[in-house]
Amino acid sequence: MTVESILDVDNLTTHFFTQDGLVKAVNGVSYRVAKGETIAMVGESGCGKTVSALSILRLVQEPPGKIVSGRVTFEDVDLLKVSNSEMRRVRGAKIAMVFQEPMTSLNPVLTIGRQVSETLELHQHMGRQAALRETIKLLGMVGIPQAERRVKDYPHHFSGGMRQRVMIAMAIACHPRLLIADEPTTALDATIQAQILELIKNLTRELGTSVILITHNLGIVARYAQRVYVMYAGDIVEHGPAQMVYDKPRHPYTLGLLASVPRLDETRKTRLLSIQGQPPDLIYPPPGCAFKPRCSYGTQCRDEEPELVEVAPGHYCSCQLSRNGKLPW
Amino acid sequence: MAIAAESIRPHRSLWTDAIIRLRRNRFAVAGAVIVFLITISAFLVSIFSPYGYDQQDLDAILQGPSKAHPFGTDVLGCDVLTRLLYGARTSLAVGIFAQFIVLVIGIPIGAFSASASSRVDNLIMRFVDVIYAFPDILFIILIRSVLGGSIYMMFLAIGLVAWVNVARLIRGQVLFQKQRDFVIAARAIGASENYITVKHLIPNSLGPVIVAVTFNIPRAIFAEAALSYIGIGVKPPTPSWGTMIRDGYDVIFAASHLVLFPAVAIAVLMLSFTFLGDGLRDALDPRLRR
Amino acid sequence: MPVIPEWETTMVKNILIEVKNLSKYFNVTSGLFHQERTKRLRAVDNVSFNIGKGETLGLVGESGCGKTTVGRCILQLYRPMDGEVLFEGTDLCRLTGRELRPLRQKFQIIFQDPSESLNPRFTAADAIGEPLRIHNTVYGHAYQERIAELLNLVGLAPYMGERYPHEFSGGQRQRLGIARALAMNPSFIVCDEPVSALDVSIQAQIINLLDDLQRQFGIAYLFIAHDLSVVRHISHRVAVMYLGKIVELCDRDELYKNPLHPYTKALLSAVPIPDPKVEATRTPIMLKGEIPSPLNPPPGCVFHPRCPSAFAPCSTVAPVYKDVGGGHSVSCLLYPTSRP
Repeated sequence: MTVESILDVDNLTTHFFTQDGLVKAVNGVSYRVAKGETIAMVGESGCGKTVSALSILRLVQEPPGKIVSGRVTFEDVDLLKVSNSEMRRVRGAKIAMVFQEPMTSLNPVLTIGRQVSETLELHQHMGRQAALRETIKLLGMVGIPQAERRVKDYPHHFSGGMRQRVMIAMAIACHPRLLIADEPTTALDATIQAQILELIKNLTRELGTSVILITHNLGIVARYAQRVYVMYAGDIVEHGPAQMVYDKPRHPYTLGLLASVPRLDETRKTRLLSIQGQPPDLIYPPPGCAFKPRCSYGTQCRDEEPELVEVAPGHYCSCQLSRNGKLPW
Repeated sequence: MAIAAESIRPHRSLWTDAIIRLRRNRFAVAGAVIVFLITISAFLVSIFSPYGYDQQDLDAILQGPSKAHPFGTDVLGCDVLTRLLYGARTSLAVGIFAQFIVLVIGIPIGAFSASASSRVDNLIMRFVDVIYAFPDILFIILIRSVLGGSIYMMFLAIGLVAWVNVARLIRGQVLFQKQRDFVIAARAIGASENYITVKHLIPNSLGPVIVAVTFNIPRAIFAEAALSYIGIGVKPPTPSWGTMIRDGYDVIFAASHLVLFPAVAIAVLMLSFTFLGDGLRDALDPRLRR
Repeated sequence: MPVIPEWETTMVKNILIEVKNLSKYFNVTSGLFHQERTKRLRAVDNVSFNIGKGETLGLVGESGCGKTTVGRCILQLYRPMDGEVLFEGTDLCRLTGRELRPLRQKFQIIFQDPSESLNPRFTAADAIGEPLRIHNTVYGHAYQERIAELLNLVGLAPYMGERYPHEFSGGQRQRLGIARALAMNPSFIVCDEPVSALDVSIQAQIINLLDDLQRQFGIAYLFIAHDLSVVRHISHRVAVMYLGKIVELCDRDELYKNPLHPYTKALLSAVPIPDPKVEATRTPIMLKGEIPSPLNPPPGCVFHPRCPSAFAPCSTVAPVYKDVGGGHSVSCLLYPTSRP
């Protein structure tokens, strides 16, 4: 790849040691984000997309979780090896994160202005007045009307969409190089969702920020991401440029996902393809390919550990059946 | 149609799940074991003790712990250990049986209040507040002076004071459960309000009540001991730890063991029930279940 | 006056449910006891539509639009303040709770949150069989058989009847909810966001299941959801709601090809399509501002503050919901008269 990458995740493995057993949440995943690019991590609940993002920022709860192995290279440094204080300088300033639940991510007893200013004072070492001015400017940038008045308001005075805008303001306050957005609009209405996602797109383009967009919504991926990583049961099963992956999905899971989602523009009503069975138990995962029990082509492949292989320029897939170019589907 | 795959994890009901979690809590288990041991000993004392409950031995008064009398003897030469175990019967009986009164009064009132109109609910809750505000011991004294001094009246007196907690709890729980989807679902399939209260609301409200009752027991035990101490508890010859403390108090400097042993017994029994209650609360909390 | 779009009147013999001028307000008190203010929350404001036998009417909209309240009002789980709900000709709003109970066998509801809609202390079999027990129609051996049959219909193995809800996955719990709704052979089921809480691959299973059941038993659905793609897929006709009112109602294809109301157009453009090539050609219509609180609906047309096509009268005149031809109804001042 000729474009320089700002984040390189190499073989990241994160496990959770729970009372009921060892949960292998993330199993040696590798991905990269180029400068100015928006990538999407897509998968259903339990696939490990959120945990892998939290692992980058070392926000995984140390018991019961543990980042077992791997390397996360950011600005020529392995984030998994730096000290806690160094990590704190990175979080919020160089790599920022926006979470799903705007209702609970903001501190209810501090004003909005305080919370945004806090980030500025902490990382940019701004004085109170300067931080306040910058805060008002940021709130304006994210589309909060009458920002000078609203800095004094508390989170409960804002709607869900507004709170998410505040979270975005906090995230971009220090001009981060990377923004991780974990299901940022799942809890919001459709028209508000569109507003927020467009806002993220415009702001990050303006600031040159790269984005990791974590979602289960295949439409959002199609609209906003240049490259996509498909995750299942803690592994990346397919990745590549969004157009290629959607056009010709090589992994049966990706194929199944795409075929099971109703499209707004479908002309004739066709029966949705449903992937049979349930997502796997992460404590007792099936050996070899985790998707095999649910796969309609599962009888045609050998039992072996799946490996990501390039099946087209820039397009990788871990399914054996995709390698020889003759896909059964 | 896809038949859903089976999970490998073992099949458990909610109660079994709770019991397993309870067993993991060492303090709760210790508490349960101690309660069990004390109960068994209290039952069996009449068979295994060589001494009668008020068997006097005037040659051996105020003796400290010895091989013949592991906990010593009292002013009249009675064996302290034997008296202690008989006293346990009273404490346990009062602690546990008073709770029946609590449940019989508290649950219906709480459930009714939650299902009634807000005016009636308000009235009932204010009435509950008044009873709650009254100092427990005073109230019990009042009741006992009216109802008499037998041990059964003791259960009633303590029960009549302690039900308010349970009523409040049930009311709060029922109000909360009422707006949950499965209650609306029951209504949608044609269930009557009474059916819903009995089959859906109350069973799901019992969790906190079980915990409250378990915590009520040490309070009842203490109440009985305190009343007996000041002389208006159970009447002799019924054995009681409170009475033992009072009798021992007169000679406390000569024979401190007469006050110490019953006091420790009260503390140990109360603590055991409290540990058990704590464990139950954690075990029954649905949010802590993974 | 009740509005029955002309397309629907031709199907009068096949109409199962007629909703006429349905309204539901809630009184919300706020403030401390000295300054208590009671406000009227217009959850549902003068809503009318029909549902034919075996038809799926989709009801879509965002927060505060009242779609869930509509569903519950039809089933009389909330009692409407105004209007009629004619089920097979009988007005349900006029019946008392006691009179409604035996009728409840004919109409049922499926909820959004499969973990909340089942009593955690009932086994699956108990939960599914509850309607049978309450209405006392089937007992003994026939009861057991019916439960096994219902489990089978929704794709679960009969031995799972002894399990408790927390032992099932979200999708399986939803199947249990469907089985319970089917127990008394209803002719109508309100599906209140039945797939919103489920994973994508499980959503498809449930949608297919509902489709199959409809084909097999001729059940009519009111399918309430906020995901327009799902609603369009499963419904025959779609109604779009905003702040308690229906702003547009039409056939599902017509909705996509020819949306009339500006809100419908914005909603359609806000939904991303899982196809990067198609997405590259679309630009979302951005609506200004936030969804207003139902406690303070804007005057005139409730949508006007956010409407890209708003013009002078919109802030003072409330549009009338009317048929503009071909079974397509809309409530917007841009369409003052019926089209030929």
